[in-house]
Amino acid sequence: MGDKPNILITGAASGIGRASALRMAKAHHVIVADRDGDGADTVASEITAAGGTATSIIVDVGNGASVRDMKARIASDIGPVLSAFFAAGIFIRGVTGDISEADWDRMIDIHVKGTFLCCQAVIPDMIAAKRGAIVTMSSDFAVMAVPGAAAYMAAKSAIYSLTKSIALEFAPHNIRANALGPGPIDTPILKSGRTDAEYEKAREDLAESLPLGRLGRPEEVAAVLDFLLSDRSAYMTGQIIHPNGGQLMW
Amino acid sequence: METMIVTGAGSGIGSALTRRLLDENYHVSAWDRDPGDLAGANDANLDFCEIDVRDADAMAAAVADAAGKTGKIAGLATCAAIFHTRPFLDVTEDEWNAHLSINLKGTLLACQAVLPRMLEQKSGSILLFASSIARRGAAESAAYAATKGGVLGLGRAIAMDHARSGIRANILSPGITDTPQPRGNMSEDAMYGWADNIPLGRIGMPDDMVETALFLLSDEASFVTGQDIRVNGGASLF
Repeated sequence: MGDKPNILITGAASGIGRASALRMAKAHHVIVADRDGDGADTVASEITAAGGTATSIIVDVGNGASVRDMKARIASDIGPVLSAFFAAGIFIRGVTGDISEADWDRMIDIHVKGTFLCCQAVIPDMIAAKRGAIVTMSSDFAVMAVPGAAAYMAAKSAIYSLTKSIALEFAPHNIRANALGPGPIDTPILKSGRTDAEYEKAREDLAESLPLGRLGRPEEVAAVLDFLLSDRSAYMTGQIIHPNGGQLMW
Repeated sequence: METMIVTGAGSGIGSALTRRLLDENYHVSAWDRDPGDLAGANDANLDFCEIDVRDADAMAAAVADAAGKTGKIAGLATCAAIFHTRPFLDVTEDEWNAHLSINLKGTLLACQAVLPRMLEQKSGSILLFASSIARRGAAESAAYAATKGGVLGLGRAIAMDHARSGIRANILSPGITDTPQPRGNMSEDAMYGWADNIPLGRIGMPDDMVETALFLLSDEASFVTGQDIRVNGGASLF
């Protein structure tokens, strides 16, 4: 589309995905992909209002048919995608003994299978172009533990492992894959499953627990994403980078 | 204009970073025992200081001088290090001490020289250069590996201790990079031959490290602290 290269961002209707879509729109045509079609349309409108270009697409990343539909639409309407950020994610809270099989499946499907399917969708174009950059959305919880988040931790660890596999397998094609591992960022995911009072308390407690003493902003994660997708990080692959306020240091 | 301080600025990644910071319109206080690559550099914003990182007083004076010029020390990058390979049982106490005093204690002293000023400013970004050898080890590299492991711990400690004062500290761990340093321990062929073990198919270039350093030193990395960023072409993939 136009002169700008394309970037695909899933989960782009809210939180880190949205902030990333807005930032990357300065130099890219942004494919704003989300399960929430209205939300994706809104972000695409924000981008065009600011002078950029965007295409919104509804996708359920955990569903193979839906991801194939997205791929077909990108191929017919937009063109090759050599830059991609897979940010679609949800959070279902629950101690391990109480997690239902359905919730477990949903967490693993959206995060792990979703990242896998989306990588399969974009990598052929990257191989053909002999270059590409992928960033996945992992978490500090791929490395450190927190109670009440077994499915989320399993999913985010799997995404990090998947990212390393992709990095190793496709390095000979000049395709890089890195993971973001954010700490506490002030996004809708932080609010999910919490009452307003619980959310406020969580924000305060998390801020106080962090070395930097505050929550991160989605824009601060988007800045790291921009670095990882750009040639500034041309020699980095298979890494997990943590914009986390110092929550985890390893 | 703001000041960036670079140790080990006379060669390798340190001199590449110094030149790039000048291009980015920083005043650079460039520290090394010898001007090396910077000899004859003619830039009004470059102050080369003949400094050994074991000399705390000289570093304190250089910080005061730099702060007097621009009013703000935006960041410190510690690149000064030595690396002599030696079979483990042949490492002499003198050689061990030299590595520890320059690579590790020198890094501490440089940080201690700039931190009072950064604490006053309530801002500053510190970047310590470690090495992939800190985690992975390397043959006949005990002293160097120990110092670089120490730098990982030191960097996290600074990040923890001074986060609430608006100071960030991160670590950059390069893989083998096309600089004078590996040439001190191996032939050209052996150095470039490392590419065979690196997924991206080449050894690192100074600019690879410079780009990451600039990112970490800048406000773009405002929520990144205490991290070890591994710029290694995917070697070991962690």
